[in-house]
Amino acid sequence: MNVITGIGWITDREYGCVKRQLHKSYPDMSSLRSELQDESVFLYPVKGFGKYDRSSQMTCCVAALAFYDAEMSYSESRKQDIGILGTNADGCLRSNLDFFNDFVENGRTLGRANLFVYTLPSIPVAEAAIYFKCQGPLLYMTFPRTPVASLLRQADRMIRRGESTGMLAVMASEKAAQCFIVRRMDDVSGEPISGVEEVIGITERMPPLAEMIEALTKS
Amino acid sequence: MARVEAVVVACDLVSPYGWGVDPCWDGLLSGSTAIRRFERFSTKAIRTDHAAFVSGLDSGADETLVMQMVRPLMEKNASVIPADALLIAATTNGEIDILERSVLNGVPEAAESRFDCLAGKIQRLCGLSEPGMVVCAACASSSAAVAQGAAMIRDGDRDCVLVVGCDNVSEFVAAGFSSLMALDKDVARPFDKNRKGMSLGEGAAFILLMSDVRASREDRPVLARVSGWGLTSDANHITGPARDGSGLSLALRKALQSAELSAGEVGSISAHGTGTKFNDSMEMKAFKAVFDQGSVPIYSLKGAIGHTMGTAGLADIIVAITTLREQRVPPTVGLRDVDDEAVGWASPDAWACDTAVTVSTNSGFGGINCAVVLRQ
Repeated sequence: MNVITGIGWITDREYGCVKRQLHKSYPDMSSLRSELQDESVFLYPVKGFGKYDRSSQMTCCVAALAFYDAEMSYSESRKQDIGILGTNADGCLRSNLDFFNDFVENGRTLGRANLFVYTLPSIPVAEAAIYFKCQGPLLYMTFPRTPVASLLRQADRMIRRGESTGMLAVMASEKAAQCFIVRRMDDVSGEPISGVEEVIGITERMPPLAEMIEALTKS
Repeated sequence: MARVEAVVVACDLVSPYGWGVDPCWDGLLSGSTAIRRFERFSTKAIRTDHAAFVSGLDSGADETLVMQMVRPLMEKNASVIPADALLIAATTNGEIDILERSVLNGVPEAAESRFDCLAGKIQRLCGLSEPGMVVCAACASSSAAVAQGAAMIRDGDRDCVLVVGCDNVSEFVAAGFSSLMALDKDVARPFDKNRKGMSLGEGAAFILLMSDVRASREDRPVLARVSGWGLTSDANHITGPARDGSGLSLALRKALQSAELSAGEVGSISAHGTGTKFNDSMEMKAFKAVFDQGSVPIYSLKGAIGHTMGTAGLADIIVAITTLREQRVPPTVGLRDVDDEAVGWASPDAWACDTAVTVSTNSGFGGINCAVVLRQ
């Protein structure tokens, strides 16, 4: 059986985690990064964070919150068999527009590499994989219905098949993000939040975030 | 109880060699590249004026370039695709020309370039009864999609999955890869001593997967079996691969384990082989680490049809299936002077290859690696 061991979440002005019942507000992304660094949610500096696109920043921050919630360690010198699965509604539309608008404004003579690298919807989870040293499967997927529940179901299946021993399931856009850590029950020493099926059941109803957090906290 | 296997019952592609698998195979065997000088857009911002294009596409048409490829491809094969197939679409940029036009013309339609919109078009085109999903794993998108489709079949979740891959050469992508200094000025030369970068290409392809049980019940031809797969991340750098090949090695080992095969049973490898210094070197390190029994014939399509991005994995797998049928490995088009690391592995010539097992590998930005094992 697979379980959810940590959940992080961020909105445009608040962030938190479920098991630790953390709930705080933040003024902007730069402040959020600093707070997470100061609170040792980020265990070491995130190199190049300021150059990430917004989705990548949200993904890294929410993943850090999920690791923190799960009391799971990570190290920049040791890779781990954890995969990351990402989804959202818009892909990398904003980053695509940023790159191409900039290219056109430059007279279609110069494309900027630091903008182009973010024109794949898989890049935010890739940035997270680089920082957290996750060497498991890395994918961006879209789902036609109940995206968070579908994402969790996919992550659960990938672990059951042996493709990875653990997965981060991340839904991240520019404005909001959620991250669930899915692991095999046998690999977990502490108390998990819940079985993955139960969390899928909660998220399948697609409640507003506050309601989902309350339901998950009670589960 | 024997486990359920995912088998390939139909496939087709359009590549810069033309419409169909046979023109692509014949083109590869001819040793002539489909990469040529182009005029689709101005190349003043681009480090090359060479790419591989599908003939007859009209960048001024209302229909997007990828749909100009996907639509005829799927219409031609409509009779083999059941309505209950689950669609997995794979792409890196989708209908990027919608976004380009939106920016250039100042109209607010860029959101229609989203991948779910493309998946919806393909679903309706193929008459599928349910909306599908999209997989993006950078340049490993379509092989990752095949892996996930095969996994769903092996799990018993689905008994039929349609994987469709597509991408086109666009000013957007050309400007981007140019900014990364990743393009060869002329034609990509995978595994060559003097390789200088990749060439862009375009295409569309599909693979129809079924459970072996359903394929037998429907009397479908079995073109190949998707026996195993492995997906990993280098966790290293956003554009550069892990130079020691450790991420790809891990993907290969996972794929072999998934297929319940040893490295010694693999007779050939379809490499990603982009023609960049680092990718090709990384791949050779990975191959040598895993296939330590000695050299295995490898080849790359990217000096022939360019790097078709979201279609690359499917094109590689379809050609790999053809190698199993033909018992022959195509030349690595563009290769002239084999790099020391690839001597005995890559060749500018076709060679006979008596094998029932082949592996296809792809790697992509963000450090994504995917390996798929195919059997006769």
